[in-house]
Amino acid sequence: MTTTFLGYPRENGAVGVRNWVAVVSVMDNCNPVTRTIARTVGGCIPVTTLFVRGQFGADLDFAFESLAGLGRNPNIAAVLLVGLEESSTEEVARRIRSTGKPVERVHLQPDGTVACIAEGTRKATRLSLAASNARRVPCPVSSLVIGVECGGSDTTSGLSCNPVIGRMADMVVAGGGTVIISETSEFIGAEHLFAERAADGRVREAFVTAVRNMENLAISRGVDMREDQPSPDNKRGGLTTVEEKALGAMAKAGTSPLVGVLRYGEAPQKKGLHFMDAPAAAVENLTALAAGGCQLTFFGTGVGNPIGSMVAPTVKVCGNVNTLHTMADNIDFDVSGILQNGDKIADLGEQLFGYAMDVASGTRLTSEVLDIRETAVSRFALSL
Amino acid sequence: MPRAIVLNPADNVATLLDAGQAGEACALEGERQGRLVLLQDVPFGHKICIADTVEGETIVKYGQVIGRASCAVRAGEHMHVHNIESARARGDLQKG
Repeated sequence: MTTTFLGYPRENGAVGVRNWVAVVSVMDNCNPVTRTIARTVGGCIPVTTLFVRGQFGADLDFAFESLAGLGRNPNIAAVLLVGLEESSTEEVARRIRSTGKPVERVHLQPDGTVACIAEGTRKATRLSLAASNARRVPCPVSSLVIGVECGGSDTTSGLSCNPVIGRMADMVVAGGGTVIISETSEFIGAEHLFAERAADGRVREAFVTAVRNMENLAISRGVDMREDQPSPDNKRGGLTTVEEKALGAMAKAGTSPLVGVLRYGEAPQKKGLHFMDAPAAAVENLTALAAGGCQLTFFGTGVGNPIGSMVAPTVKVCGNVNTLHTMADNIDFDVSGILQNGDKIADLGEQLFGYAMDVASGTRLTSEVLDIRETAVSRFALSL
Repeated sequence: MPRAIVLNPADNVATLLDAGQAGEACALEGERQGRLVLLQDVPFGHKICIADTVEGETIVKYGQVIGRASCAVRAGEHMHVHNIESARARGDLQKG
């Protein structure tokens, strides 16, 4: 079993599994310029966002910190920030420079779109040429931070793809690496089992409080959460209640002890299994995981959800034989043999770990090749 | 014959690994062996009741509670949102 991969060492000791220049919007009104520059210059990815303009206080700080987290991600060799004006752009730049990576800025004011695109294209070109000098070198599993997530779940998810991801996650932790599971609302009904794995009382309390707050939010709104959780496609796939969904979803975390609880987009400070308190919807959750420094994300799906992270390549794992036929273009790793032929979860977990090393070394994924990638930083308060 | 997997000895539901039709026998696998006649058509991946259940009874899968029966259900019936309800995060039950 290969326990190293070929990665890009960064200035701060982190390791990238990709080597992109990120063109990052500081606010929503910059997205058209961001997309144009990233489309024009090879080796760039666009990291767009909504809002920011009009956000204030803690919510604005959260927005800046999340965008900066995406820029700090070790898959990013260098960052070009596209802003409206200097002060907000500098606020994000300041939070990325701590990594030591190059950070350039362009602004829409005062010269407008065409001038901004021209200047940004020149700067991105220089960053991309310089980034291409990086070479992959053998790196240990302990330098990986892996996100585990699921979407378009059905009853096959809890029986096949999620346990296989969990087995792979255990191997990452055993190798000294870090795994982050998230999706707070999808722990409702299974939190008592996960809480037992907390390394200490403080971690346990932080985790249980996050899930309780999520449940209380649903209750305080007076809504019947069954209309949305499980979602209509989850129900079509046979999932009946949030408890059932949660018990299957939790399998992605494997069996390691829970050593830390993270805020949305917060980077882990130690190795091992962590929980991140973040919304469950795929794009928001993948964004939070990438902002927290995940270089790779593993996404179990049943009835099929094709979306991937822009910054942290997303491995689609599926065990539903029907979906593997109808959505073959969107699946990277087939585990349908578990339910069709009695294949062992442990065997497929080891194979997925081997595939993880390949992907970390540069093997590309469906969502990368087809560019089925999106970014959505959550917003938790109203804007001005 | 459609297969229905039972994940824990305490479970009162099984998950169909193949679509099944009313009147067809399915093979129980996993933590319970035997055959059970389906009383309704059941899609791939959906659950069936494997022990007669009364209204309000706890529904167990993975050996864990996944909800409660919203009506009486006989062994062999399709079990889903029409006869299982979640007990968690039910803001609708708080309305006065």
